[in-house]
Amino acid sequence: MSADLQNRSAQAVEMAKQAGAKDAFVTASQTRDVQFEYRAGALEKVKDTTSRYLNVSVYADGRYSSHNTTDMNPERLERFVREAVAITRALEPDEHRRITPTELFSDRPTDELDLVDDNVAGISREQRIAWCEQLDEIATAHDRVISATAGIYDGTVNSASVSSNGFAGAHAETYCWYGTSITLRDEGDKRAEDGYYVGGQHVASLPAAGDVARVGLERALSRLHSEKGPTTKTTMLVDARAAGSLVGRLMGPANARRISQGQSFWADLIGTKAFSDKLSITDNPLMPRGFGSRHFDSEGISSRRLPIIENGVVRNVYVDTYHGSKTDMAPTTGSSSNRVITTGSQSLEELLGDVGEGVYVTSWLGGNADQTTGDFSLGLRGHMIENGEIGRPVGEMNVTGNLRDLFNQLELLGNDVYPYSATLSPSLVFGGVDFSGV
Amino acid sequence: MTIKRRAFLGHMAAGSAIITMPGFLQGCGVQSATVLGQATPDNPFMTWFGVDQAATARVMSELTASGADAADLYFQHSRTNSLTLEDGIVSNASSNIAQGVGLRVVVGEQTGYAFTEDLTQPSMLAAARTASAIASGSAVVAPQSFNPLAMGDLYTTSVPWSDVGVEQKLPILKFVEEKARAMDPAIEKVAVYWGDGDERVMVATLDGRLVTDHRPMARITVVVTARKGEDVQTGYSNIAAREEFNWYSEERLTAMVKEAVDRTMIQFEARRPPAGEMPVILASGASGILLHEAIGHGMEADFNRKGTSIYSDMIGKKVAEPFVTIVDQASIPRERGALNYDDEGNKAGKTVLVEDGILKSYLHDQISAKQYGLKPTGSGRRQSYKYAPMPRMSCTFMEDGPHTKEEIIAAVDHGIICETYTNGQVQIGAGDYTFYVKNGWLVENGKITAPIKDVNIIGNGPESLKRITMVANDARLDTGGWTCGKDGQSVPVSQGIPTVLVSNMTVGGENVG
Repeated sequence: MSADLQNRSAQAVEMAKQAGAKDAFVTASQTRDVQFEYRAGALEKVKDTTSRYLNVSVYADGRYSSHNTTDMNPERLERFVREAVAITRALEPDEHRRITPTELFSDRPTDELDLVDDNVAGISREQRIAWCEQLDEIATAHDRVISATAGIYDGTVNSASVSSNGFAGAHAETYCWYGTSITLRDEGDKRAEDGYYVGGQHVASLPAAGDVARVGLERALSRLHSEKGPTTKTTMLVDARAAGSLVGRLMGPANARRISQGQSFWADLIGTKAFSDKLSITDNPLMPRGFGSRHFDSEGISSRRLPIIENGVVRNVYVDTYHGSKTDMAPTTGSSSNRVITTGSQSLEELLGDVGEGVYVTSWLGGNADQTTGDFSLGLRGHMIENGEIGRPVGEMNVTGNLRDLFNQLELLGNDVYPYSATLSPSLVFGGVDFSGV
Repeated sequence: MTIKRRAFLGHMAAGSAIITMPGFLQGCGVQSATVLGQATPDNPFMTWFGVDQAATARVMSELTASGADAADLYFQHSRTNSLTLEDGIVSNASSNIAQGVGLRVVVGEQTGYAFTEDLTQPSMLAAARTASAIASGSAVVAPQSFNPLAMGDLYTTSVPWSDVGVEQKLPILKFVEEKARAMDPAIEKVAVYWGDGDERVMVATLDGRLVTDHRPMARITVVVTARKGEDVQTGYSNIAAREEFNWYSEERLTAMVKEAVDRTMIQFEARRPPAGEMPVILASGASGILLHEAIGHGMEADFNRKGTSIYSDMIGKKVAEPFVTIVDQASIPRERGALNYDDEGNKAGKTVLVEDGILKSYLHDQISAKQYGLKPTGSGRRQSYKYAPMPRMSCTFMEDGPHTKEEIIAAVDHGIICETYTNGQVQIGAGDYTFYVKNGWLVENGKITAPIKDVNIIGNGPESLKRITMVANDARLDTGGWTCGKDGQSVPVSQGIPTVLVSNMTVGGENVG
């Protein structure tokens, strides 16, 4: 597979050069996806697909553009590449638009990332149905269940990239996810809903389907009789899964593109103590079985560990070659891989005990943040923390503040990392947070 | 339909937004080599996709060989082009060509789905066999030929996007940038993002219909960053429609730029409102986001046939005051959410969700319509050939009511006006929904007193409908480029509303006592 894709990419590089490009960076990809969904004792949806694309980045006459197609017909592909070069020439020249310098390709790591499980391609229809039945049996084992949908999602992604200045690399990864979404009858017309999914590159690494459904049902049951919580300033404990998305919002503008456009509250933070000294975040592309693991990024830059925040001090941001050149920052990588947040020593129960009174957030509902100022306001679901324990379920509440201030108010971190994400965060505790509710 | 197309907001036009730019839509071009301005050939869609009646019939026959209640082949070719202006130059372009056919078999509530990007007979037959594996019955009689239905005329173009060259587009981006820079000396950065799309769809159905549609899309966004001392603020505005090149008049572009600059500059003065429950006035236009989240999604019939929506048992019941009528309508010419036919080949039209306060109809696709014994409402949509269709909104709006904007503002002692938005979300079962207000105004003693920004608002769908106590007579559709996501599929939508008062919602805010 990867040899075919590599050839396809190399041919497209040649086509681009023949059409007059000075340089080209081409990625070819092919993906197999299988999806089974099961509800009310029967398969509801089966989807089985193979898709592909070719992406060509063209550098010609000091100009740049990028083009994508799913059409691999050789004649049309050649025309597509010719046209890509012609479009490039119709743009304005930009001295910062240059193909990735070869020195950034060097020292590519060879760490075993363990991203492929050959068993995934062999998962049978019977196996998928058996998982569906196991999920369904547990997920529907409560008299309040209105509907439970079990889902199995698995597949294989292959890609290969070739550049006109000597880059060649391939990436392959398998995946298998399963879980269930559950809706329960609540008071009046209301339905309580939640679910749980797990996934990984390796089938054998997944918890048993029945155990996954059990967590999903517990999560849904915990939403029953939810009420609006109070308008108050108090401590916020964010569970590990929800914490990952909050960290994602913090890091959204931590890149040279945003900074160069004046759209980042990280603009002047490098080298400064900007956040709580309890906060350290590293981008680690070389973790075995990490959801964001890779040997090189989309520009071909060799992967390496990148400290982003160390004890509250900002060390690096994400820098791609173009915006790095514009902002005089050395390229690191333009996109995140695995974002690893330091852990504390306490379990969730111990954190709850320490917090005593506050709000325990288990998921977000909508909301947004201004990446220029860091101002944010998010909807939430969760529970009140009462006497150091999880209390009554609450929802229809907002939490509002500024991301930079919030991560200065980080007081405690748990030891309970949520594993099914490329952002690996434990539960986080923030002091003095504004909630709006009743 | 009495909705007016964007009336300019006058003194209320201010605010700003982070750009969470959804991807520029699936579009579709005639051939993969026309961006520089070659002519478009006539478009017999079958010729375009390289198939004929017999080949299509053969694939349909294979697709339904193990039985089917319904089946369709969804051929699609889309081409999107985008351009970026940053720091004064247009030095980044991209294009995306996506072509394929999606094959679907429906048996009762069961769906088998496959697609292929290789439109050769062997590949299509193989995909048909894969999709048909959901069924285990005997073959149905597939049509020998397909009857072409008349094409719709909601968004006919004289020049397709595939015939518009890059050199024609560049001056538009430059114009927008220069206008923005000239409007305020505090402006440090201007970015302009261009997207055009051209999409060709052909649906062949088991009941012998052949539906074709040619869908254009135009969109432009301007992002402005301004500085006053240490204080930096970013704002944006965008416009989008199923339109062609000449839609971009100087007047239209200038209005968009002014809106972006106003939204940016007002943020230097704007503050957070106090936190908690209060009356909320929704300004006309983009506030239609309330309808999209508070009721629209909950009325999509896939949730209701499964019983998972809070609206599952409410048809025929009173859900709002008698002056509240809420409609989803795809047949509004050139709107971003407009469609001649939906993606199952059914005529798209108008569905009344709430009429005079009574809940009337869900939005149906074929599967749910059959289960409810109703005709489909033409609401079956999909992101692309890669996905099976499901019930979706198109252009969702509330009709005019008996009040005026001035009466509504005068009726509020202490509350806020919401004016511009970045995004929203809903939980279908609990009915809780949110929308993020990028800017608005504080209202005290019946008067607008100060600008506010960056607050999330949260409410419960059915409760909010009951709490709509006033509806003004100034309904209009928003012209922003809204994209709706559901189950991993994004589709373009429109929304609109007159000025409305919701008597109580929970507003995110600071300075909690």
